[in-house]
Amino acid sequence: MSDTTPPRAASPRPVSPCPRCAHETIEHITGSPVPGVWEVLQCARCLYMWRTSEPARRTRRDAYPEEFMLTPEDIGAAPEVPAVPPLRGPGAGPATR
Amino acid sequence: MAYDDFRGFLDALRKEGQLLHIDDEVMPEPDIAAAANAAPRLGGHAPALYFDNVKGFTDARIALNVHGSWANHALALGLPKETGTKEQVEEFIRRWDTFPVAPEWRDDPVWAENTLEGEDADIFRVLPLIRLNDGDGGFYIDKAAVISKDPADPEHSGKQNVGIYRIEVKGRRTLAIQPVPMHDIAQHLHTAEERGEDLPVAITLGNEPVISIVASTPMEYEQNEYELAGALRGAPAPLSRAPLTGLPVPWGSEVVIEGVIEGRKREIEGPFGEFTGHYSGGRNMPVIRIDRISYRTNPVFEHLYLGMPWTEVDYLIAANTCVPLYKQLRRDFPEVQAVNAMYTHGLVVIVSTKKRYGGFAKAVGMRVLTTPHGLGYAATVIVVDEDVDPFDLPQVMWALSTKMNPAGDLVQIPNLSVLELAPQAITPGITDKLIIDATTPVAPDNRGNYGTQVRDLPETAEWLARLQKLATAR
Repeated sequence: MSDTTPPRAASPRPVSPCPRCAHETIEHITGSPVPGVWEVLQCARCLYMWRTSEPARRTRRDAYPEEFMLTPEDIGAAPEVPAVPPLRGPGAGPATR
Repeated sequence: MAYDDFRGFLDALRKEGQLLHIDDEVMPEPDIAAAANAAPRLGGHAPALYFDNVKGFTDARIALNVHGSWANHALALGLPKETGTKEQVEEFIRRWDTFPVAPEWRDDPVWAENTLEGEDADIFRVLPLIRLNDGDGGFYIDKAAVISKDPADPEHSGKQNVGIYRIEVKGRRTLAIQPVPMHDIAQHLHTAEERGEDLPVAITLGNEPVISIVASTPMEYEQNEYELAGALRGAPAPLSRAPLTGLPVPWGSEVVIEGVIEGRKREIEGPFGEFTGHYSGGRNMPVIRIDRISYRTNPVFEHLYLGMPWTEVDYLIAANTCVPLYKQLRRDFPEVQAVNAMYTHGLVVIVSTKKRYGGFAKAVGMRVLTTPHGLGYAATVIVVDEDVDPFDLPQVMWALSTKMNPAGDLVQIPNLSVLELAPQAITPGITDKLIIDATTPVAPDNRGNYGTQVRDLPETAEWLARLQKLATAR
């Protein structure tokens, strides 16, 4: 087993808070191939990702629909799907599904 | 007519007038998804869409709604684009009878032209990703075939899986995937995670159109999707080995992403506007690490919009949901005439059947619930007589209007399994299910006052053909 997912870009930029969860740490993921047209940003907490050229309803906290907002409590209470099964050691016999 | 790669099918759609090239500059959002949302509303001959002038991109090519009409679905199967829905299902059944057809291994896959590895395997460098719906948590990939092996039996080609799952782009080299517990890849992941291992996967995009159909067909665990592709194509499916994982992947894909589902890891995912016409998300889901991306020069990104039905996904999972249920029911009950499971991947299933004796139709309904697909779907099963066409909804409504008495024809079974995305569940994954017996009771079930049913006049079929001919000649 590995845990080697590359770390997300650690370059907080002075942009608005996350539209979805209001977290202040926003990471820059990529920019438009045509320079300066748009950027792709991501919230470091709820992982919401957006393009800066999208409509305000997806990019601005004050215009973001309430039904899609997330709180730290929502994130903390998120169920695991699918559940991680117990580890089976050698000789534990066939798995029961 | 079998297509060996995605571009061959796009060319065929173009020649048939079923591909609309939009060369005006469009915004990546919301234009492209809104157009794909709108396209199926053009009706049974809605075209695929092709965008190549997307603001901020220098060489984006995005195709959507490729399977998004009965005309395009027919062309994907090499049938005339005028072929009717029921006729497409019947042809699908006939071709399935030739299953399995072994794949053909080919060298020099088209996707081997370019490679990004390790830290360079940045998905944003290859795909012009776009958001679909307002509440989606990010950019999704929702029409890729995901290939994996059973870690407990990796040499068994039947137990390998080719499936379409929702995939969220979480970073340049990070994806999330939703393995629904009823789907085969969830069993592969379960085994890998019990062992404390990662699960290698290959994710192929821009596949020839039959691969998308088999990858979304609810096949049995030990049935090989590529062998069904061969049967549906009428020619072996061309395959190659993915270079990093060795997994069998289509020879003609535009893009092949390889990596692993990281064992025993979960991370916040979603929401995503799902095939149920509702968002689901805010759950911790498995994470994929991208290790290598292979791609054809100037790749075309095939994408799929889904929302309130019907959209492209409803066409993609219509015929291919009906046919395996039909086959499985017919094994035990040859009286079954037809199965329509086209609605929301078979959350509603309509079956027409002859009756062996009183109570038989309810038994057929219960058998639907215990098919492999029925375990996760089939929330409501409607059983109709053999002379009712389950694809003709006015006829089905007539059966409900006159053949169904709630006193004896509703069977509600509590607390059965259903996929977690089903919004009507009591708690996610558990729901009551309903069988509606809308057949005419037969002895010894002597309920009702049916008398004699009015049937088509013997000459009607001949007159129908005659009228169609006259109407066409007008």
